[in-house]
Amino acid sequence: MNTVYKGEHLLPEHFGHVFVVLSFGAALLSFISYYYATTNTNKLDRSWLKMGRIAFFINSLSIFGIGVCLFYVIYNHYFEYHYAWAYTSRDLPVYYIVAGFWNGQEGGFLLWAFWQAVLGNILIKRAKSWETSVMTVVTLSQVFLASMLLGIEVLGVRIGSSPFLLLRDAIQAPIFSKPDYLDFIKDGQGMNPLLQNYWMVIHPPVLFLGLASAVIPFAYAIAGLWQRRYKEWIKPAISYSLVAAMILGVGVIMGALWAYESLNFGGFWAWDPVENASIFPWLTLLGGLHVLIVFRNTGHSYATATILVLLSFVMVLYESFLARSGVLGEASVHAFTDLGMFGQLVAYILVFLAVSIVLLVLRWKELPITKKDEETYSREFWMFVGAIFLCLSCFHLVLVTSIPVWNKMFGTTIAPPANLVAHYNVIQSSFAIVIAVLSGFTQFLKYKKTDLTRFFITTILYFVFAAAVTALIAYATGVYKLRFLFIVVMFASVYAILANAKVLADAFKGKFKLAGSAVAHIGFALMLVGALIAAGTRKVVSTNEKGIDIANFGKNADEHENIMMYKNEPIKMGNYTVTYIGDSVVQPNHYYKVNYKRFDNSGKLIEEFVLTPNVQINPQMGLTPAPDTKHYLFHDLYTHITALPPIKEKANNQAEAAHGEEDDNKNYDAPVAHEVAIGDTIRFREGYMIYKGLNKTATLQNIPLDKKDIAIGAQLEVFAHGKTYQAEPVYLIKGNSVFVFPRKVEDVGLKLGFSKIIPTQNKIEIMVYQQPESKKPWIVMSALDFPYINVLWTGTVIMVIGFLLSIFRRDKELKTV
Amino acid sequence: MKKSSIIGLVTIAVAIAVIVSIYANTSTYGTFKDAKNTSSQLHIIGFLNKQKELHYDAAKDANYFSFYMKDKTGNECKVVFAGTKPQDFERSEQIVLVGQMEGNEFRASHIQMKCPSKYTQDKVNVTEVSAQKSNI
Repeated sequence: MNTVYKGEHLLPEHFGHVFVVLSFGAALLSFISYYYATTNTNKLDRSWLKMGRIAFFINSLSIFGIGVCLFYVIYNHYFEYHYAWAYTSRDLPVYYIVAGFWNGQEGGFLLWAFWQAVLGNILIKRAKSWETSVMTVVTLSQVFLASMLLGIEVLGVRIGSSPFLLLRDAIQAPIFSKPDYLDFIKDGQGMNPLLQNYWMVIHPPVLFLGLASAVIPFAYAIAGLWQRRYKEWIKPAISYSLVAAMILGVGVIMGALWAYESLNFGGFWAWDPVENASIFPWLTLLGGLHVLIVFRNTGHSYATATILVLLSFVMVLYESFLARSGVLGEASVHAFTDLGMFGQLVAYILVFLAVSIVLLVLRWKELPITKKDEETYSREFWMFVGAIFLCLSCFHLVLVTSIPVWNKMFGTTIAPPANLVAHYNVIQSSFAIVIAVLSGFTQFLKYKKTDLTRFFITTILYFVFAAAVTALIAYATGVYKLRFLFIVVMFASVYAILANAKVLADAFKGKFKLAGSAVAHIGFALMLVGALIAAGTRKVVSTNEKGIDIANFGKNADEHENIMMYKNEPIKMGNYTVTYIGDSVVQPNHYYKVNYKRFDNSGKLIEEFVLTPNVQINPQMGLTPAPDTKHYLFHDLYTHITALPPIKEKANNQAEAAHGEEDDNKNYDAPVAHEVAIGDTIRFREGYMIYKGLNKTATLQNIPLDKKDIAIGAQLEVFAHGKTYQAEPVYLIKGNSVFVFPRKVEDVGLKLGFSKIIPTQNKIEIMVYQQPESKKPWIVMSALDFPYINVLWTGTVIMVIGFLLSIFRRDKELKTV
Repeated sequence: MKKSSIIGLVTIAVAIAVIVSIYANTSTYGTFKDAKNTSSQLHIIGFLNKQKELHYDAAKDANYFSFYMKDKTGNECKVVFAGTKPQDFERSEQIVLVGQMEGNEFRASHIQMKCPSKYTQDKVNVTEVSAQKSNI
């Protein structure tokens, strides 16, 4: 039965599907054409090359077309499309609509394919004699990526997942039998609130550009082996590896920035499997890059260089497999669930792995492998050792991160280490020490041969210098309280910084060639220093001494970081006096104002600011808190809501209050009556009030008074929390009845009633209702202090500058040859 | 011996050391019964007993949360966690705990929960859609 549906916009779907199929077909045609263009023995026949180019150009256009269609769907809130419905909603601001674009897996693949298309076009322009062979590899990769978006069933197997899948095809539900079902789907599911962060707009494109650019060195390596141009591919591969490593590094750090800002994972790095996976290719690519340079300078280590470059792209594919196949399951908070592309993802890896291995085996005997031994005191030798350690560090990460994969493969039930973070920290720190020290003293060595006495003197001199600086920093930042291992990391990093600073100083005297590497290494070592101090000396400001003693609870429990705060009751935390002063709502976010004050020893206020952490109420995820941060130059103060009274109940309370006096009184302790004369003081738990006098002409809202009625207000001045409030409860005699109209002072949780006039003593009776603590508004928050995080970010920027310097230098070399 | 062989040997040695250290550090997925018989930390997969009380009273102690969980064999145990109640804990389908027994209580140092809503979009879709249907 074919139902004719009302209100659907199917034009983008039709166009989108055409583009999806076209992009796949064009990629395939381009691959075949480039393959034949490469193997064609008649060098004058350029028809295959032309066809390859045209097909690739069509593929690029189609990918762009897919993007336009998808954006059109999302931007116009066409919720008949599953993608728009699942990841966006009407209230989403435009910049998050852009982020919604790559919220789903299909968008991720699309972005990756887009960048690969851009890079492919650059290669067509620049690769010259390499174009045919290199583009054969790139287009093969493009075929795989395009297939991920197909969403077509072939012989009962669904290949890929289309971003233009309609909601009614994605989900089986009775509602879709109605032709006007769209009238009932008013809004989308909305974006995961954790992703509603500006870093999510910029981080994925950069990361995917990094992933996509790793294909270029790989393609050069394959082309070099395939076309027996064993030595020629190295030079362009160095340049492209530099670019890929830089972008990949930036992408990863942007992810860390997002994690840091949103604090949902406890800091900038949580050793989550997906985070780890994102640095696999970075580590192998860095290793490969160093060995490539070793080969270029000495002719040694050809096989290692080639293998590492090939491995890097396989790692990119493995990373995407881990994140997208659902294999990580409960091990990761970032990972996607399986979209039915498990087999396709595995095939992608296996094909590229197989091509690499087969070519290596076939060409092994012809490879320019030297039998000569490397000089022990040459820079290349230690660069090589450093690269090996980068790979060992990657090896460890791969092994532990892949535990769910091993379980699946071998049917075992191994659990990751119970204290996962400590495990990673200790082992990766050990590698970091070796790598940092190597990146330091290797710079003192010369390419090929070195003057030994001079080398040892400089090395030792800088060791002593670094030890002194480390002692200073460790003392100033509190790092000395950490494990000895981490202090050694600090020492190694400081050493790397100083040694490379010397090289940099020399570079300015003329050896400018080495500037790039020196700067990049300084940046890298600074990142290590920053990460170490920030992660190691993180302080809980909101230490909670109150509560049941669970001190021998395991390590994490030492920090009782959550603290409960009643509204307007200041609590002293570390140097700050912290008060929860109020909240406001801008749907869907609830903001909680937290006031921080800092006093000097004499009690003078020296600093005051308000942080407003918020909590978003999301239909899918419930309450999702987002922190607010006070940024200082050398540390950041985080405030994070960790628990709240049920928000709905609060709304009910207000409704109850409107219901009537009786109900409202339940929110207060039993009232206390005070008989007072003018000028008398009444004390209550949080302050005091003074009875100032009577107002004989009090008026009441909504109640008209005639001349016989008597309305008298009692003027009260309430002092609490350093503030003054005015309250005027009213006593009304209307006809023969007496009415009492109490007044509330919400901020102090007070209700005051003027209940009796005692003319004989010239006194009145005031009923004081106090809110019990538990009925007062409260929040549970944690305040954390992350020190020196800016050192980490500065290190990143410096590293990027170093990369750029190296890229320009290599690029110049490339052009002059 | 050639230097490349030395590097090779060192590399292999470090790799083996890495494997050994991982092997020594990995824990196991177990049950509450296993937890009673060991003093080391382990992972337990199970689900929340929604009939029993989830205790979190911020006024008394903002860092104390307790609940009852059934492991895969159906054994139930009280679990104590030094922190706040994770948001939407009641909706969790599956819980993974890391920790150890202390007396009759399991002290969790880490709780990971799987919510039906978080990343499996389609399930929520169905509940959403059926709710909309009831409006018709």
